[in-house]
Amino acid sequence: MESVILAASECDVEAEIICAPSDVLELFEFTKPLFSIGGFDFTRTVFLIFLAMFIVLAILYYGLRKGEKVPSKFGAAVESLVTFVRDDIAIGIIGPEGIKYAPYLLTVFTFVIVGNLFEVTPLINFPITSRMAIPAFIAVVTWVIFVIVGFKKNGLHYLTDLVWPKSVPLALRWLVGIIEFVSTFVLRPITLAVRLFANLVAGHLMLSLLLASGYIFVTAIPDVGLKGFVGVAWFVFGLGIYLFEIVVAVLQAYIITLLSAVYVQTSVHPEH
Amino acid sequence: MIEELAGPIALVGYGLAAIGPGIGIGIVVGNAIQAMARQPEAAGMARTTMFLGIAFTEALALIGFVLFFIA
Amino acid sequence: MFASALPVFLAASEGAEESSGIDLLLPATSELVAGILAFVIIYIMAWKWVFPQITKTLENRQAAIKADYEAAEAAKVEAESLKNDYQAQLAQARDEASRIVEEARQAGESVRADVVARAETEATAIKERATADMSGERDRVAAGLKREVADLSLDVAEKVLGTSLDRGAQQALVNQYIDELGGLGS
Repeated sequence: MESVILAASECDVEAEIICAPSDVLELFEFTKPLFSIGGFDFTRTVFLIFLAMFIVLAILYYGLRKGEKVPSKFGAAVESLVTFVRDDIAIGIIGPEGIKYAPYLLTVFTFVIVGNLFEVTPLINFPITSRMAIPAFIAVVTWVIFVIVGFKKNGLHYLTDLVWPKSVPLALRWLVGIIEFVSTFVLRPITLAVRLFANLVAGHLMLSLLLASGYIFVTAIPDVGLKGFVGVAWFVFGLGIYLFEIVVAVLQAYIITLLSAVYVQTSVHPEH
Repeated sequence: MIEELAGPIALVGYGLAAIGPGIGIGIVVGNAIQAMARQPEAAGMARTTMFLGIAFTEALALIGFVLFFIA
Repeated sequence: MFASALPVFLAASEGAEESSGIDLLLPATSELVAGILAFVIIYIMAWKWVFPQITKTLENRQAAIKADYEAAEAAKVEAESLKNDYQAQLAQARDEASRIVEEARQAGESVRADVVARAETEATAIKERATADMSGERDRVAAGLKREVADLSLDVAEKVLGTSLDRGAQQALVNQYIDELGGLGS
């Protein structure tokens, strides 16, 4: 893992220049908790999670507080966000009864989008969704919701239709059943969590490495001469990726919300 | 020459695992765009189905990603 | 030295404890607890406040827009009727004005005719009176003249005859003669 980050020979101009963290975890885990109460570690990530929560609550509160007849620009934006989640995602995908799941989907969308955008927020530069906690929790909750809804709507047929599909030829039925069972109950939550996590990990890695190594190379120009100008290209490339990561952050928040809705929908109306 | 290569073999494994999903997602999105172009009124349904298809196809790459960390 | 400039990106490794990749994949307990807590708080707000609030807002807005629209519609209808009223009143006023003008014209016409007629009558009356005066004067003058002539004739005859004639009988005779003359002459 040590050699993953950068080829150390490239930047060993002086002994002090640390080009690569000794471990990739250093980019994602601030192992030293700031303080600890009863075994609960208040790390930087924990603070960022609460910061994200307060940002979401503040945006929702200040956007919808007045409920004016003619909303301000900010109020209109928040309203259109909420109605987008309600009408286009919840009702649009799940159907009329999807309104029940709109608060959950709105929570997922807002929390994840703010957490993702921390990746490109100056001075924070760390997506809380690149830690497994939040994606895993969302995946588990979505899994619980769609399993419960599936059994509630279809009874035991939900399971039997899944593992013993009548529309498939008998010879292949058991195979399709196994694949369906595994993909629905095992792979769905894993992929839902890992998709968000992996995208943000990759984004954070790219930004950290490109911008940090670019910075190190540029500042090392007096020591290494022309070779250091490689850093300029790295830095510019990093800025391009920075813009790309904004798109990724929004898109991944949308996709995890959309897929949560789609998974619930497949339980509400199977065979669709 | 092979002996000179160093690093976790899991990286290669992830690279291989990403090939199939890469092709698959390309096919899914390409056909979804074709469907949307042919029937723009069904674009919403096609988009949802496209994301679902991507999600299923992507699963293999994501499993590879997980295995890279586990290995 | 560069590492200290980038504390966020590159925390200098001091502990260098052995950690494998799987640690990155498993959620840390404190973060999981914090994440669940934050998520639940946002969910409660979304469930209890955001959606009721936005439903209320949108309904209020819809009602307000509808009311505004209806008010505008009513105002438009009212304005239309007012406009029609004004136009009718205007037309009426115009008719009235032309009628008044017409009446005034007729009145003026009749007054003129009246004045002319009266003037004519008056003129006629004056002429008749003048004619009558003139003929009366003529008669009077003629009568006076007749008497004078008779007197003169008698005087002349007395002078000539030297005797006084029976004045009354003579006068009647002369008058009769003059009357005959006048009857012939006239």
